[in-house]
Amino acid sequence: MWLLPLLGLLLGLAFGLLTDIQIPAVYEHYLSIAVLAALDTIFGGIRANLQQVYDDKVFISGFFFNIALAAALAFLGVHLGVDLYLAAIFAFGVRLFQNIAVIRRILITKWEERHIKKDENTV
Amino acid sequence: MNKKIVAKITIVSTIVGLMIAVQYNTMQQPTARDTRDIWEIRQELSEEKKRHSELLSEISALNKIVEEYEQNDAESQAQLLKNTVDSLAQQTGITSVSGPGVILNIVPASELIEFGYRIEPISPDLLIRLVNEIYHYNGLFVEIGGQRIVHTSAIRDINGATTVNGVPIDKSNLEIRVITNSYEDAEKLYSYLYASSFRDEFYLDNLNLVINEAQSNLTIDEYDGDLTNTYLVENSKGD
Repeated sequence: MWLLPLLGLLLGLAFGLLTDIQIPAVYEHYLSIAVLAALDTIFGGIRANLQQVYDDKVFISGFFFNIALAAALAFLGVHLGVDLYLAAIFAFGVRLFQNIAVIRRILITKWEERHIKKDENTV
Repeated sequence: MNKKIVAKITIVSTIVGLMIAVQYNTMQQPTARDTRDIWEIRQELSEEKKRHSELLSEISALNKIVEEYEQNDAESQAQLLKNTVDSLAQQTGITSVSGPGVILNIVPASELIEFGYRIEPISPDLLIRLVNEIYHYNGLFVEIGGQRIVHTSAIRDINGATTVNGVPIDKSNLEIRVITNSYEDAEKLYSYLYASSFRDEFYLDNLNLVINEAQSNLTIDEYDGDLTNTYLVENSKGD
């Protein structure tokens, strides 16, 4: 189930590293924030899937909307002289940690449940 | 989870992977733009070319020595060895050398002295710049006020007096002797120094730099101090 997305991730990484694509230094902030937004969306999607509330539309729209919003915020920040991209980094960072924490809890609960079932079967 | 969802997640994760890789590339090797024009590149090329030919001629000279070593019998090999030692001694400054060269004199500007200007000691910075420029224009051996310049020579200010090799130099009439490879080089050095801004620089310090015509035979004495050697040790015989 998770093999194909993982493969996709590796494919993307390999493609990017092998082609040696670079972006101008001016746009570094935008890309870094977009990467953060994308990671947040991915982990959000995994969490939603584990909680069985996953919605296709929410996932895809969230991916593109978050990236666009983050980049727009960074753009506005650059032109206003306020480091608004820090706000986006903070928000996405907190959400990333929360999502990963939730995923961890769910996985631990599942693992414990499986253990208990096994014990019941053996007894 | 149906196939459609997996496909969508795969596409998204591919994009994420690509973004991460691009970001990584950008952070690892920021592209430095090459802003040189053709002329600058040509100049750099000619510098390298010059260096190349210098190295080639050095190689051929060393090859010649090797050949001589291989061909000659033991007796003349000893003579060759002696020649090599002599030439090395000459290079380090422990023997006197003679050859074509240029003599420079630094004297106080007489018209300024008459009006009561003080004679300042020659600035060590200016002297260092002059020596560097002389070496840059193929000066082989340099002597300042009777002090041979060797690789450990220091030109500096000690208690208000400008010194070379730790010996205070004359500030009323300082003679700088430069020996070059050939008479042509000496003439070139003379022309270069004549055209350079050094005379103006010295005049700022109330001094006149007199550049004499190239001479076909000059002598520079050996370095009279001790050349200490911290890193090389002599091996005992038979090692």
